[in-house]
Amino acid sequence: MALPLPPGLTPPEIAFMCEMELVTIIPRQRLEGLELLGGPLKPLNPPQRASIPLWLALLLKRQRRANIIPPPWLSPHSLAAILKFETEDSPVAFSPPPRLPPLPPSTTVPLSSPFLPSSTADAAADALPYHWLELGSMLLEAAPDDFDDADEVRKLLRGLREARMAKLRQSVEVLDAGGGFKMNGVGGMELGEARSFITGVVDGLRKIGKSREEARKERDRENGYSPSQDYDDDEMDMR
Amino acid sequence: MDIDDLLAEVAVDTTPLETRDLQELTRAWVAERVAPEILAWPAELMERVLERVRRQIELVEDQTGNLDPKTNFRLIVVQTEVERFKFLVRSFLRARLRKVWRWMGEGKREANVLQVDTHPLHILAQHTASADDDANASHPLLSPAEYQYLTSHQALLAAHYGASFLSQFPNSLQRMDDTTGGISMVDKPDEDAAVFVRVLRDVGEVAVEGTDKRLEMKRGDVWVVRWSAVRGWVGSGDLEVI
Repeated sequence: MALPLPPGLTPPEIAFMCEMELVTIIPRQRLEGLELLGGPLKPLNPPQRASIPLWLALLLKRQRRANIIPPPWLSPHSLAAILKFETEDSPVAFSPPPRLPPLPPSTTVPLSSPFLPSSTADAAADALPYHWLELGSMLLEAAPDDFDDADEVRKLLRGLREARMAKLRQSVEVLDAGGGFKMNGVGGMELGEARSFITGVVDGLRKIGKSREEARKERDRENGYSPSQDYDDDEMDMR
Repeated sequence: MDIDDLLAEVAVDTTPLETRDLQELTRAWVAERVAPEILAWPAELMERVLERVRRQIELVEDQTGNLDPKTNFRLIVVQTEVERFKFLVRSFLRARLRKVWRWMGEGKREANVLQVDTHPLHILAQHTASADDDANASHPLLSPAEYQYLTSHQALLAAHYGASFLSQFPNSLQRMDDTTGGISMVDKPDEDAAVFVRVLRDVGEVAVEGTDKRLEMKRGDVWVVRWSAVRGWVGSGDLEVI
């Protein structure tokens, strides 16, 4: 059966992607290594830290087989600093995304979110990764006891979300038919929410402009000119 | 070369093929869910992934009888992951199928029946072109199964139209891919639709056709841009659709 969904990802699908992000855990039980489809899983030996995909970390957490270490950017201190940056230092653009690792040799496929380790225990503390909102909410829901101050984190995440949504709404003012504007630092869930609106406006403006363009071409043809791109040549001929 | 570069090379070399395949499959899935056009069928990738899924399911089936709690939990982990892969593959295939038969699920009902077979003709033509192109011959647009589905469905539909009403029309009006009058009956997807892309490798200046916009695309950037302006770079893996 064909997929009955409009273009773009749905929120559950964005969360599904986010669950591929690597997070760091402290296992409480041994688990032998596994040959998984997405790559081998190293043996888990408590209390040695390990970085595993979020879906597996949530499964282990639910069965009380591991604790999850929240990424450094998901601490009250970091979030407060980023929130201050979002509201005071950069009132229009989003805060910059985490610094990328150096470019791999051109023969290999460059990795990108969710396969860059941007939410492990040694990730950068000063930038929100692509799946910041989803990952933050999922960890707060599944592992609130692994946070030092879950309520404060929750509050700051909400503040960040509001500040950034306001920016997203403001960005509508720069939309135009030509398409092509930068949205660096946008998050996965934010993009999912804004996608249909933004693409709708850009496409709509383009279609309005297109009909005007077509009409002008039509007029040119009636006047005996060929379509506009040949206009200059025709003029030369007439001289 | 600084320490980061050295680290990066080590890190890349140690990324297992399985993980890179998952990255590619995820990327292909998102691209197919977002892009207005159907994209080239990643034959080798799908072969590898499906083979691995098949082997993993066999493994689960072999060991399900085992009641040892330790093995049991390992199986839960393996099975959970298999389900995730199956979802990814299925959603990817269905997103492609949707483009082959655009009308399905768009809720336009009977009024649209006469228009249904327009995109397939466009895709069929694109597929033939991609298969004829020597440089691309090993990377046709559609998988064998998709091609078979499309041609047989198209044949059934054409026969049905012919029998029910087209044969009553004058010969000159019976074609379904007419281009007279400068308007092609073969409908195309909106190739200028706006998409979000992330830059994976610097591509330099991108010109948007029909406007005087020049976009400087640097690695890590996220852009909203017309699909037609960037599809080449998405195909080459320098940009990814998000």
